[in-house]
Amino acid sequence: MNHLESLLSQSALSCEIILCLFVFTRKVQRVLPLFAIYTYVVFIGSTGVWLTYEYFGISSYISTYAYWGSILLNAAVRSLAIAELCRHGLRSFRGIWALVWRVLVVLSVLLLARVAMDAWGQPNKIAIYGMTMDRDLALASIVILAVLLLFRNYYGIALEPLQRAIAFGIGLICAVDVIGNTILRKILTGYLFSWYLSSQKALWPSLRPQVQYVNDMWSTVHLFVFMFTMGIWCYALRRPVLAPSESPVLLPTEVYQELSPAINLRLATFNDRLVELLKP
Amino acid sequence: MNDVGIAILLAIVLFGILLWLLLPGHKSSGAAAASFSPETIHALPTAKHYGYFPQIRQALSAADTRYLLKNAPPQVARQALRERRAVARRFLQGLHEDFSNLARLGRMIAALSPEVSRRQETERLMLSLNFQILYALVWLRLSTGNLPLRQLEHLTGLVGRLATRMDEAMTQISALSAGQLSGRINA
Repeated sequence: MNHLESLLSQSALSCEIILCLFVFTRKVQRVLPLFAIYTYVVFIGSTGVWLTYEYFGISSYISTYAYWGSILLNAAVRSLAIAELCRHGLRSFRGIWALVWRVLVVLSVLLLARVAMDAWGQPNKIAIYGMTMDRDLALASIVILAVLLLFRNYYGIALEPLQRAIAFGIGLICAVDVIGNTILRKILTGYLFSWYLSSQKALWPSLRPQVQYVNDMWSTVHLFVFMFTMGIWCYALRRPVLAPSESPVLLPTEVYQELSPAINLRLATFNDRLVELLKP
Repeated sequence: MNDVGIAILLAIVLFGILLWLLLPGHKSSGAAAASFSPETIHALPTAKHYGYFPQIRQALSAADTRYLLKNAPPQVARQALRERRAVARRFLQGLHEDFSNLARLGRMIAALSPEVSRRQETERLMLSLNFQILYALVWLRLSTGNLPLRQLEHLTGLVGRLATRMDEAMTQISALSAGQLSGRINA
């Protein structure tokens, strides 16, 4: 670990402590318990990895497993926080929620299947395997968030400022993870693949600086973005968290049953007229 | 483009979409969940542009065009025709707004309904997408001067009827909401 990376790791850990304090003092767990757990898991994971580095050294197998284990754990808890974002505020709109959750579940299953299939074909190395899973989970997270926001915007149900900041932060982390992991995976499975082959042991001393350089670059970018995101979340938490809004007064079912087909019929007629306009 | 390029592009595009959807002033996210209630529906502007059709008809009439071409210098006549087409385009935009309001009313009713039909919602989504495409094509034809005024008149009449229907729908929703609330109070 070079000087800059060490400094960044300590800064990131400090940011995580500040974020956890914000989350705890603002009682975020009452409104968004899974997001609160996510921030605590990130902090505990980082501390655990740092302790492992201190005890066993950064190049040890245990450190590698601890690092990738914490990355995948973060991705799993982040997925739960996204699921919570999906549910929050939409659940009180019962009709729409019944429609949305089914779509999101089907999409999630498809995306998870893709993650499993993509990770299955990877060389049996924890770094490449973990990188592929992390990348695909990050991509799946952005897709789910985008679909959720499409639904919310379509039905005119806006996210509250804190939830918006959380969605932005998670989206940014995921986008950077996808880009970084894709590039890193390409390099490690490409011209640096000899690093993982016992038969190419003779090349390892010459490859070590390159592998280290690539890892350092990626860690630096990742930590910068992560700290920036935590800054956004802390800023969003500078004010007390609003209590969950009251459930809206829903209309009787008959209103929808009667008006929705009528409105659709009118819209269809309108389109028919537009088609007529276009006829020569 | 190789798979690395595709993955990076995909991440950037998806994040761009996410960012666009998160913009606070985004057009569709007008009503916040907290203030979302049947009263919101009344704040929705009703169809209004179709009401200006008589003036537009006058401005775009064939007689006016003939008069212009006959009496005005060619350059002035051409400019006048261009401006008239621009007026018609703006009018078409107004009709688009009226259509959007009706579609939005449909979505609001769906959001406030305890049960929604998947088929109805999919149908409305497809109708809205179709409308956007057709609107773009009509707009193009109007811009090139290939759209007869009589057809535009048909369209306007339809929007006018839609507006009436919207007003009826709002009255109906008010009555039903009031009935529901009084029912809750009595219970």
